[in-house]
Amino acid sequence: MQREVGTLPLAPALRARLAAAGFQTAQELLDTGPCGLSKEIGISREEALEALQVVRQECHGDAARTAGGSGATRKCTALELLEEEQTQGFIITFCSALDNILGGGVQLTKITEICGAPGVGKTQLCMQLAVDVQIPECFGGVAGEAVFIDTEGSFMVDRVVDIAAACVQHCHLIAEAQQEEDLRKALETFSLENILSHIYYFRCRDYTELLAQVYLLPEFLAEHSKVRLVVIDGIAFPFRHDFEDLSLRTRLLNGLAQQLIIIANDHKSAVVLTNQMTTRIGQSQSTLVPALGESWGHAATVRLILHWDNSQRLATLYKSPSQKESTIAYHITSHGFRDVQPPAVTHSTEGPELNPRKRPRTEEEKQ
Amino acid sequence: MAAKKLRRAQLSQEMCERLSRYQITTCQDFLCLSLLELMKLTGQSYYEVQKLLCKVSRACAPKMQTAYEMKLRKSVNPSSAFLSTTLHSLDRVLHGGVPCGSLTEITSPPGCGKTQFCIMLSVLATLPVSMGGLDGAVIYIDTESAFSAERLIEIAANRFPDYFDSDEKLLCMTRSIHLYRELTCCCVLKRIMSLEEEIILKKVKLIIIDSVASVVRKEFDTKLQGNLAERSNFLSRGASVLKYLAEEFSIPVILTNQITTSLSSGPGIQADLVSPADDLSLSEGTCASG
Repeated sequence: MQREVGTLPLAPALRARLAAAGFQTAQELLDTGPCGLSKEIGISREEALEALQVVRQECHGDAARTAGGSGATRKCTALELLEEEQTQGFIITFCSALDNILGGGVQLTKITEICGAPGVGKTQLCMQLAVDVQIPECFGGVAGEAVFIDTEGSFMVDRVVDIAAACVQHCHLIAEAQQEEDLRKALETFSLENILSHIYYFRCRDYTELLAQVYLLPEFLAEHSKVRLVVIDGIAFPFRHDFEDLSLRTRLLNGLAQQLIIIANDHKSAVVLTNQMTTRIGQSQSTLVPALGESWGHAATVRLILHWDNSQRLATLYKSPSQKESTIAYHITSHGFRDVQPPAVTHSTEGPELNPRKRPRTEEEKQ
Repeated sequence: MAAKKLRRAQLSQEMCERLSRYQITTCQDFLCLSLLELMKLTGQSYYEVQKLLCKVSRACAPKMQTAYEMKLRKSVNPSSAFLSTTLHSLDRVLHGGVPCGSLTEITSPPGCGKTQFCIMLSVLATLPVSMGGLDGAVIYIDTESAFSAERLIEIAANRFPDYFDSDEKLLCMTRSIHLYRELTCCCVLKRIMSLEEEIILKKVKLIIIDSVASVVRKEFDTKLQGNLAERSNFLSRGASVLKYLAEEFSIPVILTNQITTSLSSGPGIQADLVSPADDLSLSEGTCASG
């Protein structure tokens, strides 16, 4: 109630008039009432009423925040957070080594960045995740939908069809091996057409379209509340050319990162970004580093760097708040993203899966 | 889309006039400003400005399509999704041939046959659909002056003797291959920018640029300060226009690249990271091999 008039989200001209008339706190405005306000400042009664409604809304929001009230606040204890994290789902990648170093898979409510040279498999991993997010809960998935924002044009529908078909077949094999009714029922809705219909694809040609799409994303996610994954394939591409003003670029990227963090938290979805690599010319040698500069490195919570070692593809977990840095090898087969060797049939009885709804994953022999 | 004027984004007339006083005329300018700046320039409250942002975003944002709709659209016309190279093993690895709607890069050391491959693909593109072609014209941007018309006729006559049985047919085919000789980066970029109208006018079904690397390496010495940034700038701009053309008209675009030696501890030869086209690269084999 003691909030200063200058901090209220009113039109600047109105604020200037209020300051000139001598109003200092929001409480004074509310006490004056719309008619008094309109007479003192010289605006119409309707405008005064509108302004007072804005002030009231703001003050109520403030009060709720200080009293620690509604669920829109972002304050909770670490115990509540622990319970939330333990029941939260992961989006598996079908490469168990990668899932292990990530702590179970791609985490919801966090931003994961995948960097790599061209051709190493970033878009393949994104397409794999867009299919894997739709796996039903009884198979260990999160049963969500996916938004795919493509800036490079490397999304190939035929490839997604291959990956989805392999995933459906995998689930069929599990259902047959375990012979349970709810697994078979879940499989009725987990078909190729359904998977493809729940991948929402946007093709952004330049950074303006990308900015516009991210502004509209909260509205879209409110309409499609089952979305659990937002992929932006190629966040670097539209920002790497045609930008003379680097400070504008940094500002836009930071704004984007903030909006994506809000989206990830509010809608409980994972945000996956792919980045390119650029050469940094040092004193005596040049190294490959992720593009978009040092300040962009702070945007993502988890950073995964994909690279080559002779002809083997490797993935390194470069930045993570909860897992340690490690490197694993992976393969890209006709079925999608996979491990290098077929893992033995295991039942994981311990590990982060304390959720009884999540079944331990059983891998059958790969052909 | 970026250059769309605010008038067409359905903002009110007075708002557009007010913004144009601050040189904000396109959607791009509008979206690049922060919320506080917008409040100052438009004189509106916070919530009003957010509504304006949504309006302008809706004017530039792309349309949504589901992956299923994309698949249906492709399966309606399967023959137009690829240009078969008539080399069976290559077609098998590529899942059908050179894909329409994306960029394909061909890389090799000198003398391996990149230009020959491009010439053969030009012939294939002019063939009718029943013979596996695209039945359209070809735009060939040649930066090395390596295109030989006689070789073109030789390939056509020897490969498809039944189809090109008369001189008429051969001349007709050569008339639909449009050759542009560009020798500097600037000219190449200008030519790429002007391609949209040519494609519609001449009913072009294939674009070949042979080669991107030669002009770039001639003009940009990466050891000089600032050249690396300029080079990436030029390549990214060219690549984004070509991607737009490939997708908009659903035609294949083929670029050729050269080989350089990378002086790291790894194996000697790799393709020069000249072309930022992240799509299929014929030199390293595709990941979707069956």
